[in-house]
Order: sequence, then C-alpha cells, then structure tokens
Amino acid sequence: MGEQSGYSVVGKAIPLKDATEKVTGRLEYGGDIRVLDMAHGKILRSPHAHARITRIDTRRAESLDGVLGIVTHSDAPAWQWANCWHNHGGRILDDTVRFVGDEVAAVAAESLEIAEQALGLIDVEYESLEPVFDPIEALAPDAPQVRAEGNARPPTEIVWGDIDEGAAMADVVVESSMSFDSQAYAPIGRNACTAQWQGDRVTVWTSTQTPSEMRDATARGLGIPISNVRLISQPCGSSFGLWWIGSLQLITTLLARKAGRAVRIGLTQEECFGAVKRRHLEQSTGRLGVTRDGSVTFIDLEHVHDNGGYGLKPDVGFLTVDLWGSGPHGRFIDRGVSTNLVTAGCMRGVGDVTLGAFVERLLDMAAAEIDMDPLEFRLKNHIRAGGPLRTMEGEELDHLDQSTLPDGWPELGKLAGEALQDCLVRGAEAFGWAGKWAGWGKPSAVAGPKRRAVGVATGVHSCGTEDEYPVSALVRVHSDGGATLYVSMGRQGQGSETTQAQIAAEALGVSVDRIRVEAGDTDACPPSHGSIASNTSYRTGFATWDAAMDARRQILDTATLQLGSAAPDDLDMRDGVAFSPRDSTVSLPLEQIMATYRPESMTPPVIVGRTTTPMPPSLMHARYFAAHFVEVEVDVDTGEIRLLDYLATQDSGTVLNPKVLENQVIGGAILGAGFALTERLAFEPGTGRVLNPGFLDYKVMRAPDFPLDPGVLFGNYHDPVGPFGAKSAGEAPTTAPIPAISQAVFNAIGVWLDIPMTPERVLVALGKI
Amino acid sequence: MTIGVNLRVNGVDQVVEIAPHDTLGQVLNGRLDLNGVRISCEEGECGACTVLVDGEPVDSCMMLAVQAGERDILTIEGLGTPDNLHPIQQAFVDEHAFQCGFCTPGFVLSAKALLEATPHPDAAEIAAGLSGHICRCGTYPNIIRAVQLAAQELEQEAGDG
Repeated sequence: MGEQSGYSVVGKAIPLKDATEKVTGRLEYGGDIRVLDMAHGKILRSPHAHARITRIDTRRAESLDGVLGIVTHSDAPAWQWANCWHNHGGRILDDTVRFVGDEVAAVAAESLEIAEQALGLIDVEYESLEPVFDPIEALAPDAPQVRAEGNARPPTEIVWGDIDEGAAMADVVVESSMSFDSQAYAPIGRNACTAQWQGDRVTVWTSTQTPSEMRDATARGLGIPISNVRLISQPCGSSFGLWWIGSLQLITTLLARKAGRAVRIGLTQEECFGAVKRRHLEQSTGRLGVTRDGSVTFIDLEHVHDNGGYGLKPDVGFLTVDLWGSGPHGRFIDRGVSTNLVTAGCMRGVGDVTLGAFVERLLDMAAAEIDMDPLEFRLKNHIRAGGPLRTMEGEELDHLDQSTLPDGWPELGKLAGEALQDCLVRGAEAFGWAGKWAGWGKPSAVAGPKRRAVGVATGVHSCGTEDEYPVSALVRVHSDGGATLYVSMGRQGQGSETTQAQIAAEALGVSVDRIRVEAGDTDACPPSHGSIASNTSYRTGFATWDAAMDARRQILDTATLQLGSAAPDDLDMRDGVAFSPRDSTVSLPLEQIMATYRPESMTPPVIVGRTTTPMPPSLMHARYFAAHFVEVEVDVDTGEIRLLDYLATQDSGTVLNPKVLENQVIGGAILGAGFALTERLAFEPGTGRVLNPGFLDYKVMRAPDFPLDPGVLFGNYHDPVGPFGAKSAGEAPTTAPIPAISQAVFNAIGVWLDIPMTPERVLVALGKI
Repeated sequence: MTIGVNLRVNGVDQVVEIAPHDTLGQVLNGRLDLNGVRISCEEGECGACTVLVDGEPVDSCMMLAVQAGERDILTIEGLGTPDNLHPIQQAFVDEHAFQCGFCTPGFVLSAKALLEATPHPDAAEIAAGLSGHICRCGTYPNIIRAVQLAAQELEQEAGDG
C-alpha cells in the first residue's frame, strides 16, 4: 500500500463519528426537527398527467377553522428554479401540471388533520391536455409538448474517427438494443422541511445533499438576500441523489411566509417514491466491431432517456465511452426527452448504470462471437492511464490551461491513472474465475431446472466535476486544541463527516477525536459543491485538506513566535504537539499554543484555516473504477435468478477508511443488483401514475437476497491530486452489477434480457410464457 | 374522542390520551418524542419502526397503540445509552453495520429478539431473522457480522455473569 502505511489517521477503519447517535436512535434527521408553535403543511397534488389549471378557488378551504394559509401558483414567483445538472427546471408552483402527483397548492394548518381536510376544500378546475408517456413517442414532432421548451433536448453527440472505417476493419460486427425500466430511489426514511421566518430572515431545516445550492435557491425564489437565509441541513436516510434542492423546501418556505407561522411539511412514503424524482427510463441501440484477435474497431451507440415532467438533462453522462473509447472510431448520441411522468434525475451511477450495462453487453456479444473469455477481452480493451477521454475533447478543454495547475498534476484530457487492470487480475484470482468460467452460453453446473454460471463486468465514474459551486472549507482551531471543520456536505450515509475528519486530522496532525465536523449549517460553512457526482472524497476532500494545511501553517507560525528560535519550516505537528524533528527539546502542545496570548496585543491566537488553492472546475481525468464478479443460479421453471457468490473490486485511490469504503462498494453493488433483478417503477397506462410507490410493491434487496459474505478488494493506486491520494467511491460500484449479472444469466440460460431481469422476463425469453 | 391508555415504555408506566386509531408508532414517535422509533413506510414493510412488545419484534406502524396497553414496550432509547451501549449496539458500531443509520434501531431490536431465541445463529439464520428489515444503503454483510460479534459478546457476558 506504499505511502498509506505512513499515515496515522488516513486508512484507519475508525467508527463513524455519529455512530453512537445512530445506534441509540438519537441522530436527528430532517424529519425529526420540531420548532415551537409550528404549523403543519400538506401539499395538494395533481390527479391529472397533463392539464392547465383554469381556476383555483381556496375560499372554502381558508374558511375552515385552523387553516392558517394556502399557497398556489399565483403566490409563486415567475422565477424558475433550476437544479444542478438539469435535474429540474420549473416554477415553484405552476399553472400547468405535468404528471400525476405534481404540486398544485399547499395548506398550512394547526394540525395535519385540518391541513388534509382543507386540501379537499380547494376547488380546482383543470383543462385537460393530451399527455405523453413513452419517450420515443414523445420525440415525434406531433407529440403533445410537455414543456414550453419542447420535449426534445438538443442531442448530445460525441464522435471520433470514422464509423465506416471502423466497420470495414472489423471481422465481426454485433448489433443489439436494450431497455431499462425506471429505478426508484426508494428511500428509507422520509424527508421533511421546517421553515421559520423572523422578519425577513428565514431558517430552514431539511435534509439535502447540497446545502449551499438549497440556500441560494431559497433566497432567489423568495426574493431575499442570501444572508437572510439560514439553511440547516440534517442527515437523511438513503438518498442516492434524491434530496438535492426540491419543491418541498421552496413550497414550505413560501407557505410559512404566507401563513405567518413556522411550518413543517413532511412527505409520505408515497410522495417520496412517486412525486419527487426517479431514475430515467432509458433505451439503447448500438453496434460494435471487433477483429478476430479481440480488438475493438468501432462503437456506435444511440441512447434515449426520458426526463419526466421537470428534468431537462440533455445527456446522462458518457463516462463509459471513455472506459471503452480507446478504440479508433466511435459515435455516441444521447437524447433527453420530456414525458408526463414524475421527474427523472441523477440517481447514483447516473448514465453509467445504463449506458455502461449496454456497452458491456455489446462487448460481451462481440467477445462471444469470437469466443474470447470476457475477462481477457476486458483486459485487452479497457482504457489505460494516459488514454484519451472522449468526453473531454473539444470545447470542455478550451477554458482549462494546464500551466495554471499545481506542479505534478496530471495532463488534462487524459486519464490520470487507473488500477482497473489490477482490479480485474486480482479479482479474478480471488474469485477463482479460471475454474468457474465454462464458456459463452455454457452453464458451469446444471441440477434439475437450475443453471449456474459466472459473469464479470466493469464500471467507472468521474469524481472530478463540479457544476457551479467551487469547493471550500474552513478549519477553526479552538483554545483547547480541538478543531471544527466547516464544510458543506450531505450526510446521507456515505460516511463523509468521518472521512473528511480523517483528512483534516491527518493534515493538521491532531487526533481525529479532536475534529468536529459541521456540514449542514450555511451560516457557518462556506459555500461549496455539496455531495453529488461523487465529489466528496476527491474534490471536497481536497478543499478540506487545503484548509487544514492552512490552519497547520498558522499554528506552526504561532508556535515559532512562542518558541523564539525555530522557524515554521523546522517544525512538524503530530498528535496535537508541535515539535522539531531535529531537536527533541523543542515541542509545544497545541492547547498551549492556543492558550498563549500574543504579547503584542494580549489577545489569544485566532486560527482559521481556509481553502486557498483553487481546484479547477473540470477535472474529468479523475475516474475511479470497479470490477465485479458474480455467480448466479437461474431456475428455468420459475424464472428466479439467485446470486450465489459476489466479489467487488474497487479502485478509489488511497483508502481513507476501509470500512466506509467497503460499505460504499457493497452497498453500491446491492443497489445495482436490485435494479438488475427486481427494482422497477410501474406506471399506470393512460395516466402515468406510479402504481408501486412503497416498499410493499416495490421490491428491494433484503439480507437473504445478496450473498451473505461478499468479497471486497481495493486497487492500489495513489491519485496525484486527491487528498492523500484518495478518489471517491459511491457510484462506480453501482454500475458493474448489471452487466456482470446479465452476462452470467446469458451464460446460464443463453438469453440477453432487458433490465430488470424479472422472473417474468426470464420465462418470456425462454418461451415458457 | 380520546382514551387513556397505560403504556409501559422502557420500564416506565405512563397514561397517554390517544385516539383509538393512533398506531403505536405514531404515539411513541409523535407523542412521546421517541425519535429512535423511525417512521418510514407505515405499511409494515421496512421494519424501521420496530419495537419489542413483551420481547417480540413488532412493526409499531402496524399495531394500534391501544393494543399495547399494559404490555412491556422496549424502544432503542431503553436499550443502551451513549455511555453504556448494549453489546449489540457496540457490535454495530465496531462492524460499521450501518451507513445512513435510519434502519439501525429496528435492526438492533430485532437482533436482540433473534439472539434471545437463537443465541448462536449462523449467517443464514441471521439474514432470515432480519429479513423483515430494509437497509436501503445495502449494509447487510456488516449487519450479519455485527450480530455474530454480538452473539459472542453476549455469550461471554453470560459466562462471566
């Protein structure tokens, strides 16, 4: 593990900083916040997939005893809120509804029961509009238009080389298509928002992965200065991208102002599943050519994803292109299209979960045609360090100047480094691939109706991109030698408060127990990107490291003054003691440094480290990788697919906390495997209403459904930019399970399936039903 | 209409005025401010709101509060304190048996009932015994390890006692 062994905090499996609060039930999530004299709010939702509100009369509802205020589209500003990465675009409340469950109005009342009763007293007249639900139908020129901008986003196209030339070079060309149902975030726990106005200032408690963005949107939407909004983000249950900024928070804040009271709106499970966001419905078609020796000559892929009512994404990400884009010729096109379904947005592994699965399927079909082991095929074709990043070619690179970057940073536009080779080779050995692989379409064992087989696949995600918020952190050192790290992040279970504290502790040279982390209070934390797009360990971690190093410099400067002779560069700090490595008589504990008044002013030292090294906005060369191995058993009578064995390998650079990383890797694998096998939102024909908005009818994996003791291996790679060489972790492990399981299923029963691979789809493919 | 029900929660008797249709979960979380009774699905599927009633795990969203009158109700708040964690809680901390932590109180309480009925479960028995709970973060392997560790600790404690 090279340099990792020299760290005192980084790389240690310390318990989560909030572990005790979690096991004793004391952690306060967004929904747990109550304030004095709080009113209860409830949202009226559309029964129509697509309609214009022609009249809305709230008088009967307002006259109900205990009703404190009602907001409708006439109370909402014309301003359209736009979520980072095109996850949403629209007014807080609009006079057009775009899916069943879209927000129409909200009521604040003395009790939840009164608020619910009042919803039924709001008279709304709708002019019904033609809806459209199928993404392909929605692309047709004469399709009903969901949005003023039209349904179709401009196509995103990445082209290199010449497809025809690539086709001419190929010995074998395979062609296929694949479709994906929509995965639900299916959160455990439900979000709520509580807003309390004092004059023209508002305090908002909720759960969000992006506190800074939420604060700024609130200020803009409510027409008040940013400094008048204090957003306090609490931890949430599993999020996976569900809780960024949302209508919930903006409506609650608007409603609290109108009602003149603090208001809490808590969402139900049904609302969380069916009225916020979901993964896109996606369809891929494509071709891929190879030579007999297994070299990819071209790839040609067309992809369509639906954005639902309010998403505006032009593309779902092309990082997979880079993993397999080192071939000479290629073309990727993606089209985003609006539908009258609940909004679709970025869910963990966005794009790579789907595009990745399809590209890997084409690779598998090609490898099967030339009868090459899928492991060997991947080892031969995956991108190497220094390889071209197609997604960065063209305009994205124009505004970046390599000369402005610190020394030692990798070349932009090229893959910085990878340990995928290492992951594949060591993973195959640990899994026993060579002994289990029986050949394409050949089960390794047959017993009655049960067929066993193995599969291997890879996944990738970027951890270097930001949208509009640079990363920033503050480290304030206290008089007793402890410190608080102020860094804006989400706390959705990914352990960031712990790993960021480890980074700060390692950089400062203090025990991790002495670092407290404040992640959610925007009055305290500097604006920063938040926890999205696998940013936190890599980008936010860089900001944390930089701020801690700044604090350390200030501490050592102060120590130098107090010690008289030593220069700051002569001092080091470890375990909260500044010392001279050369002179054992020179040492000073941090609490003493902090307690000693400056002689010139008779004031105590004030030490606040801040991020001073700018991090360029687009470090797309930072990628982290996953290679997963699986053994499945398919029952050809029932169509059931069971996972018998699983091994996940991951390259996240330096491991900040092996248990945190293990949980992210296996948790990602289980989320991906759930989508591979059972998870799908069902939409009612004709209305698009979500038919299974809850755990009763939406099936996620439980403890017996995944191998009980899966293997985990980490790649050995030290990133030149990330904090102590670390990269991020959470999304790539979600992307590898689908193609790995799908390949294993093909080997077991000889068919390629759409996602999820439900028992019904298995039996249909086998001609049994 | 409200009725008074005597609820014995974490060893303390208290009469609570409730509506007949109030669920146990609503009363524990909403009225008695027991935040560790985590309300999520309200349809008996996720297990987050699990409490022990006379030692048996119950989805508190699926039991009326009136049904719990005069019975022993244990919530996570009554199991261990931050300074004195129950061995199962400590094992969950040590094994990183959670991520977001929302499901944790329910898993811990069901694990307690499981280990009382089956003191030495194997991994498959633990997985089956806890299959009424959803960990959406996917931390099941470490949950299974934590319950195995807790089983060892409890056995040692019993031996020492």
